[in-house]
Amino acid sequence: MLMQTELVWLLGAVARGDEAAFERVYIETRAKLYGVLLRILGRPALAEEVMQETYLKVWKMADRFDPTVASPVTWMVAIARNRAIDIVRKRGDLSIEEEPDAMEVASDAPPPLARREMTEELKRLLSCLGKLDPEKQRIVLLAYYSGWSRDQLAQKLDIPVNTIKTWLRRSLLEIRECMGDRA
Amino acid sequence: MYDDDRDALAAEYVLGTLSADERDQAEALLVIDPGFAEIVRVWERRLGELNVMVEAVEPPPDVWDRIKIEVDGAERHITAEAEAAQSPIEEAALPAIQEAAPQTAPETTEEVTPEVTPQPPSEPLPELLSELEEGPEAAPPEDLDESSSVAALASSLLPPEPQEAERPSSPTPAPATPKIERSAEVVYLARQARRWRGFTVAMSAIAALLAVFIAVSQLAPGLLPMGRLSHLAATAPPPGSRLVAVLQQEPTAPAFLLTVDPQNRTMTVRRMTASADAGRSYELWLIPSKDPKPHSLGLVGAEEFTTRPLPADFDVPAMSDARYAISLEPAGGSPSGAPTGPVLFTGKMVESMPASPTPKT
Repeated sequence: MLMQTELVWLLGAVARGDEAAFERVYIETRAKLYGVLLRILGRPALAEEVMQETYLKVWKMADRFDPTVASPVTWMVAIARNRAIDIVRKRGDLSIEEEPDAMEVASDAPPPLARREMTEELKRLLSCLGKLDPEKQRIVLLAYYSGWSRDQLAQKLDIPVNTIKTWLRRSLLEIRECMGDRA
Repeated sequence: MYDDDRDALAAEYVLGTLSADERDQAEALLVIDPGFAEIVRVWERRLGELNVMVEAVEPPPDVWDRIKIEVDGAERHITAEAEAAQSPIEEAALPAIQEAAPQTAPETTEEVTPEVTPQPPSEPLPELLSELEEGPEAAPPEDLDESSSVAALASSLLPPEPQEAERPSSPTPAPATPKIERSAEVVYLARQARRWRGFTVAMSAIAALLAVFIAVSQLAPGLLPMGRLSHLAATAPPPGSRLVAVLQQEPTAPAFLLTVDPQNRTMTVRRMTASADAGRSYELWLIPSKDPKPHSLGLVGAEEFTTRPLPADFDVPAMSDARYAISLEPAGGSPSGAPTGPVLFTGKMVESMPASPTPKT
């Protein structure tokens, strides 16, 4: 994995139309983005399509990337997730059954990330998430990783949708207070 | 400072839990409201680091080939566009250009050279870079145990992805996942409060400074750079568009979102923060651009969402051209067919350039 700083200047080069830099960016970020997309979209064909759209967008919008706001990977993952969730929502959430059931916790789940692999930002976020009730931690994480809507969360977790709505709102506002980095 | 409703909307937009309609509304806000765009960016930064926990999966190699083709095609289309940048309506033809490009693009599949390492730019990036190297100045959280336990929970929710070999050999074709890019055409309507002719206006401090935004979110293929939105703003929306009007009193507090869906011929008013006093009703008005006589579009219900059919006597271009207003009326609505109470929101079209909204996908 390249240093984040290298990715920052690679994106700067991409903004000036440097195709070689673009390829480097792709090589360094493709597996992360594909992993994120596959988890949300479930189907490789769909995930591949959104990969294309995402990188085309990165190519066109690299000049909008602001390293003071987000890391390169975070910025790119946001673009990819956003598109993936648009697709899933437009499909009308009809394929809940087809989607990979992330609730079935695999027995060979990967070990928790070693502390040293965590960025300071992530530690801070996790520490704030950790202050929430366990079931609220769970819905926030499931929403992020699986791209589930409130309705899907309600259905999968067998919790009334209004409760989900209230919990999400409350949890997110608590995270905001905890992180203390308001706009 | 933003209110919690808007912050929660931004947060859920980033988290991804909103419904399709709510996402449309959030995206309209994103484009027209730099303040909202800013809080979305903050949420992207707050939650974005969660991606660190997701296991990386190698995409199939041909994904890059396809990206390369699209990128070459995109360059071509940008150039072609710059030459013929006269008529915004031509946007509709872009998808065709884009699709055609790959076939004519030369050396699209040229072998890649992964070793290539571009030289660092000699531009003033270093300051930013050194900032980044030092990392966030925030003090580390005291409660590391909590972060570990959440990390463990996250891991448990993240079963490993199936390996490449386990992928279905013939992936089901994605049903109706059109390569449609929803872009937004924006009309920014802002205007000072004004009184309506011919009816009594109760003096209302609320009616001081009003702004109405209409965003035309267009269901159309093609990646429409945000910078060109203003050129498109004044044109009638093409078929398949949605119109979204944000009715607010001040830039930080939208009170109502009006969504018009021309395809299904429905409109939906969503209450954001506004709540009427007991015994009063909010009534929505359309003021056509040609004939400044308000037409009632009915009462805004007490629920969060009010949906009803579009008025039969206005076509979509007329609706996108019109101004909208909400007045406070006696319970049950205006007895006279024209607004009788204070007009809380109204506006007139002016063009605006959105202030670099968060990347929309």
